[in-house]
Amino acid sequence: MQLPNDFVLFWSLFGRSVLVNFRKTTPEGSPIGSNAMITVLAVFGALSVLTPFLTKLLGRKVFLLLAAFVAGVFVWVLTLLPEIFANGAISERVEWIRQFDFALSLRMDALSAIMSLVVLGVGAAVLLYCTHYFSDAEPGLARLASLLFAFAGVMFGLVVADDVVILFTLWEITTVFSYLLIGHYTGLKESRGAALQALLVTTVGGLAMLVGLVLISVETGTTSITGILEAAPSGTATDIALLLIILGAISKSALFPFHFWLPGAMAAPTPISAYLHAAAMVKAGVYLVARLAPTFAENPVWVPTLATLGIVTMFVGAWRALRQYDLKLLLAHGTVSQLGLMITMFAFGTPEVTMAATLMLVSHALFKSSLFLTVGIIDHSTGTRDWRQLTGLGKKMPVIATFATLAAVSMAGIPPTLSFIGKELFFAEVVGESASLWGIIALIGVALSAVLTVAYSLRFIWAAFGTREEIPEPELHDTYKLSALSPLVLSALGIVAGIFAPLLTGLLGSHASTIGEVHELSLWHGFNLPLLYSAIIILFGYLSFKERRKVLRFQQRVHIAAFDSTRAYWAVVRGLDRLSVIVTENSRRGRLPAYVGAVVVTFIIAAVSTVLLGSFFPLEFRIMDYPLQMLMALVMVAAAIMAAVAKQRITAVILVGVTGYGTAAIFAFQHAPDLALTQVLVESVTLVAFVLVVRRLPSRIAKEHKASNRPMRIFIAVGAALSIATIAIIALSSRQEASIGESLGPLAHEAQGHNIVNVILVDIRAWDTMGEISVLVAMATGIVSLLFITDRLGTAPRMARGASNWQARARGTIMEPVTSTAITQLKPHDEEATRKAWLVAGRTLDASHRSALLEITVRLVFHPAIIISIYLLLVGHNLPGGGFIGGLVAGLAFTTRYLAAGRYELGEAAPIDASYVLGTGLLLSAGTAIVPLFFGMLPLDIVWWDFTLPLFGEMHFGTSTIFDLGVYLIVVGLMLDILRSLGSEVDRHQEEGMQARS
Amino acid sequence: MPPFGIVLYVDRLSAIMLVISSVVLLGVLLYSVGQGIADGDKDTPLSIFHPAYLILAAGLFDAFVAGDLFNMYVGFEMLLAASFVLLTLGGIGPRIRSGVNYVVISLVSSVFFLAAIAIIFGATGTVNIAQIAERIAGLDFNTQLMLHTVLLVGFAVKAAVWPMSFWLPESYPTAPAPITAVFAGLLTKVGIYAIIRTETVLFPGGALQVPLMVVAGMTLIVGILGALAQADIKRLLSFTLVSHIGYMVFGIAVGTTQADAAVIYYVAHHILVQTTLFLVAGLIERVGGTTSITKLGGLLASAPVIAMLYFIPAMNLGGIPPLSGFLGKVSLFFSGAEVGGWLIWTVIGLGALTSLLTLYALARIWNMVFWRGAEEVADYESPLIDQLQEAEEDDGRVVTKEVPKLMIGATSVLVVATVSLTIFAGPLFDLADRASGQLDQTTYISNVFPDYSNAGQVGDD
Repeated sequence: MQLPNDFVLFWSLFGRSVLVNFRKTTPEGSPIGSNAMITVLAVFGALSVLTPFLTKLLGRKVFLLLAAFVAGVFVWVLTLLPEIFANGAISERVEWIRQFDFALSLRMDALSAIMSLVVLGVGAAVLLYCTHYFSDAEPGLARLASLLFAFAGVMFGLVVADDVVILFTLWEITTVFSYLLIGHYTGLKESRGAALQALLVTTVGGLAMLVGLVLISVETGTTSITGILEAAPSGTATDIALLLIILGAISKSALFPFHFWLPGAMAAPTPISAYLHAAAMVKAGVYLVARLAPTFAENPVWVPTLATLGIVTMFVGAWRALRQYDLKLLLAHGTVSQLGLMITMFAFGTPEVTMAATLMLVSHALFKSSLFLTVGIIDHSTGTRDWRQLTGLGKKMPVIATFATLAAVSMAGIPPTLSFIGKELFFAEVVGESASLWGIIALIGVALSAVLTVAYSLRFIWAAFGTREEIPEPELHDTYKLSALSPLVLSALGIVAGIFAPLLTGLLGSHASTIGEVHELSLWHGFNLPLLYSAIIILFGYLSFKERRKVLRFQQRVHIAAFDSTRAYWAVVRGLDRLSVIVTENSRRGRLPAYVGAVVVTFIIAAVSTVLLGSFFPLEFRIMDYPLQMLMALVMVAAAIMAAVAKQRITAVILVGVTGYGTAAIFAFQHAPDLALTQVLVESVTLVAFVLVVRRLPSRIAKEHKASNRPMRIFIAVGAALSIATIAIIALSSRQEASIGESLGPLAHEAQGHNIVNVILVDIRAWDTMGEISVLVAMATGIVSLLFITDRLGTAPRMARGASNWQARARGTIMEPVTSTAITQLKPHDEEATRKAWLVAGRTLDASHRSALLEITVRLVFHPAIIISIYLLLVGHNLPGGGFIGGLVAGLAFTTRYLAAGRYELGEAAPIDASYVLGTGLLLSAGTAIVPLFFGMLPLDIVWWDFTLPLFGEMHFGTSTIFDLGVYLIVVGLMLDILRSLGSEVDRHQEEGMQARS
Repeated sequence: MPPFGIVLYVDRLSAIMLVISSVVLLGVLLYSVGQGIADGDKDTPLSIFHPAYLILAAGLFDAFVAGDLFNMYVGFEMLLAASFVLLTLGGIGPRIRSGVNYVVISLVSSVFFLAAIAIIFGATGTVNIAQIAERIAGLDFNTQLMLHTVLLVGFAVKAAVWPMSFWLPESYPTAPAPITAVFAGLLTKVGIYAIIRTETVLFPGGALQVPLMVVAGMTLIVGILGALAQADIKRLLSFTLVSHIGYMVFGIAVGTTQADAAVIYYVAHHILVQTTLFLVAGLIERVGGTTSITKLGGLLASAPVIAMLYFIPAMNLGGIPPLSGFLGKVSLFFSGAEVGGWLIWTVIGLGALTSLLTLYALARIWNMVFWRGAEEVADYESPLIDQLQEAEEDDGRVVTKEVPKLMIGATSVLVVATVSLTIFAGPLFDLADRASGQLDQTTYISNVFPDYSNAGQVGDD
């Protein structure tokens, strides 16, 4: 018994895995001993599950609570910084799936810490903002609060994950959350469509990345990110893996050619856009690139791919941002552009450039979320985000306008901001000592897009807050004071950080300094080349803004279709749908014959190919045992072929019967009387059942299939036949050991039986018999089920009289004649009418349907037949016979009663519900199987008694006979069910049909 | 004493199959009682559901414990006979039509299985699986290959492996939801179980790895394309069912102990999640009156609980981590990648693509059925749905009924079960690993014949 052991092990293991959570598992003696990060993630999870309930209690104030928690975690991460800078990283690890070495392992190093601070800081600010942005009546507020909060946790987990499987897990969860959040306004078709688009596009990349991660993990033998980076693999497999991972990163961070989903995602509520689609989620791709770049920057595919896509993206994004009327879309395209910039910069992986990129990343998170939140305020106050309807807001909301301008200054990269310092640093580096071809290309790309960035930043301020005389001033209908807090703080931070940049070198340069030496940050490096670049960029940016009409006209003339990925997306989606319809329709053509054909053809191909591979056809084999065998075979083959081409159903049925009787004959010639007898009886019963059914069907077989299919069908049929014959010959000739059948004879004697077949059925393999009689019960049930319910929704079959419930009505049909039939007015219970009849219900039939001879014969034969069947049942263990054969004989006896005098006669012959017969039979057989267990024996063990019976003589009675009795009853029950369903019930339908017509 | 009589063989794999099947069978039974398709309801008057359902269960269990090829066939026959009855329950036209498809295909596959047993008996003189395994090793390699192929064809039809899978989506969806659910969850897995035994005990060595890989890939992709074309949720789910069989075949084809462990986990996942989703489809049919996504709408507002019950298993089937569908897939990918080779990587690629398309099909349902407002449904135009094919038996009627608590309850329990596959993934993979560790031929034979040693022969006791 292995099960209990497993059970114990299962629970002990489960217990262990829970315990592990509370045990110190940090390697290398890192300063934090507990699983603090895992605990934080768990609290995030728990709290987000609770959020819907809290929302019910607190309404929108729940955001305050959530913001406080996130801010708390933010502060906690700050307190970890000294330890991280001292030791390099904090790591935690809990085993998850040992077999594949997946572990819940988290690691916070400098890069993770910076990312965490960004994610948590902006998260707290956005949650705070939500308190004022949403009203208590917002539909789906609980769902939104829960998802947004959980998202912060998942994002935190993502940037500290140190296992590729965990990383991917959190990566995909952010995708799903993003899907749900973009679709927040479920009533809007656009927002639903955009949600699905974002889901699919990011998942395409995500799955490619998964394959890449699997590839690189197998290549390095570890799923740990640290481990992979330490191994620093190279080679073709690594190149492919990196390309796949890049696909994931660029789809998540909306780089070309996936840049189109991000503007679509602006259908989400503005705080969501600010957080997911500006500050946090879209940075996941940037983070991944930043994570891998120091190790893989030298890889031949890395920089060229990322820089190309990054540069295209930053240009396309900025170009489009310049064209937008919707302020939010302007920012979204700007985000796309900046993401391209960040990925390009991080891709180089050198210390100074990495530090520059880090500055851009932090700065972008601050100013972009601030600007989004500002747009949210404008939207709420004026009811629009289209600048063509806005004017004079600068005067009406001066504070907001001021801080938004500061944020825009950050966006434009004008001093004294972090992004200015970042760009300067980048320029200095790529034209400096380590200048490279890709560095120069990147420089040009960055400079060009920076010009556009300056232009769209200016345009944003002008559009949002400028005064345009020609438009009527919008009315403000919302207070915004409190909701302004978050954007103000975020935008102020961007400026403050720029001014105090030297003090922040430790933090912002911490990641870069793990790669190599970096210099202290400063705003002012003196007059040098980078400063000149910046001056030129700002000048041209200003000019493009000033001459915006000309620029716009130019933009309208130039439209590059290749960058219009939205159209490509829809083409792919539609193409997929189209393809799927074509494939599916093709495979369905022809329906059932095609399905069967597919199976048979597969078989033929499988058989032919394996035989051709070298299973040698035996040179010598016996073609037949005796001539009659061959003759029978030929007859059967002929009958089978004729059955296949027969035009009348009944002919086909009879011809199929011939093949069955032929088999019986072969059994008989092989000295297997039991099998022969069984086969003959089964064949007869089948024939009866067929005839009962066929009489209600059109006599001719419909010619559905076209003649053109014929050769193919013949080919398949002949092919299958030849295949199976060949296989059989090869298989039989390869036999090396004796059949276990030869040992069964002595075994049967041991089991006190001389009839091996019966001993096999009721003793040696009685378990098979148990199964097969269950099949018979199921079949009987099924036949009844089909015939007695013709329409699930329509009327019930019409009944004779007073039956109160379905069961009684259905089961009772046979017993009680339909008094209103046109055929008979007689009731079988009418004493006078039945007294003299040979068969009690004979009078219920129309005279033209009756045959006196048949009735007399049946009357004479029926009872002896029943007795014979019982005899066969009892002697089965030693002589040909047994429960199955006996049951079939009895069943045929009932059949004759029915055939001779119709359905009332059947009811009279077997005045018992067939389901009871079936049930009793199954109970007896199953009982014989189970009862021995109570006496310490095995199931189906047999007990024997010897005694003498008057007529039968010396009896040798075993419990196997009880088992066989069960079999007998089930066969009889099945026959009765067939007769009353396919016989009586079909009769009744027919009669009702005739009445209905007349 | 073996090899005479019938050997029943329960190792960890069988035990896992038995436990999962019991859970699913019980859940679906409760759901059916809730729905009222069990006996006593006016739609199904006769005592048909319970006996047929129990025989189906008995057949399943027997197939999972059979240590005898013929007895396994008997188990198959039991569950097939019962499934014929259940599929045609109520006897309405579409059910009879799909029932005919199903019965014919099932019988064809049974004929092949039976023929395979006969041929194997011809070659080895026994039907005891352990003894066949032992004797077959002595046959010529090509003869082994031949027997192997013939046996697999029979099982592959049951498991709905391409190109023998087209019948399934034509048969299953018309049955009442809980019946489809139990068929979808369990019946194909009997085929998978049998294929696992074939590849590990009877014909170890992965002689058919390449063809299995090819059909695994084709099963995945052809199946999921079928799902994309469907408007009817039940038909769509039937196609995803077929498609995801490909993952299991892939794992079996990889054939390492690690891959087998992943397959076992995946089987457990797939049984639970497919069953659950079909039950949810039944709930949707109940509240929405139809299962066509072109006609449904506004269910997020009108039935938020059902929305939850749909979303979790749908994301699971769509392979979203950390749910079990993802864990199963990624562990299959990893075990395949360990072996490597362009064919395996191609199938991994197809697997990832299938995962994406599954997500697309299921998210589209979410978009249309749950998000879209009920008032938008009329005259709705969207490129997302304009090419979908309605089910043929869909008569356009929308008949809604209230949803009994028991149906919701039973479905919720199964949803929780699918999620717990993730929560207990560690211990479950441990179990699956130990189960796959004892799948090998030697263990099997020596468990049946205790005095068997690799070199020796079995005595004729």
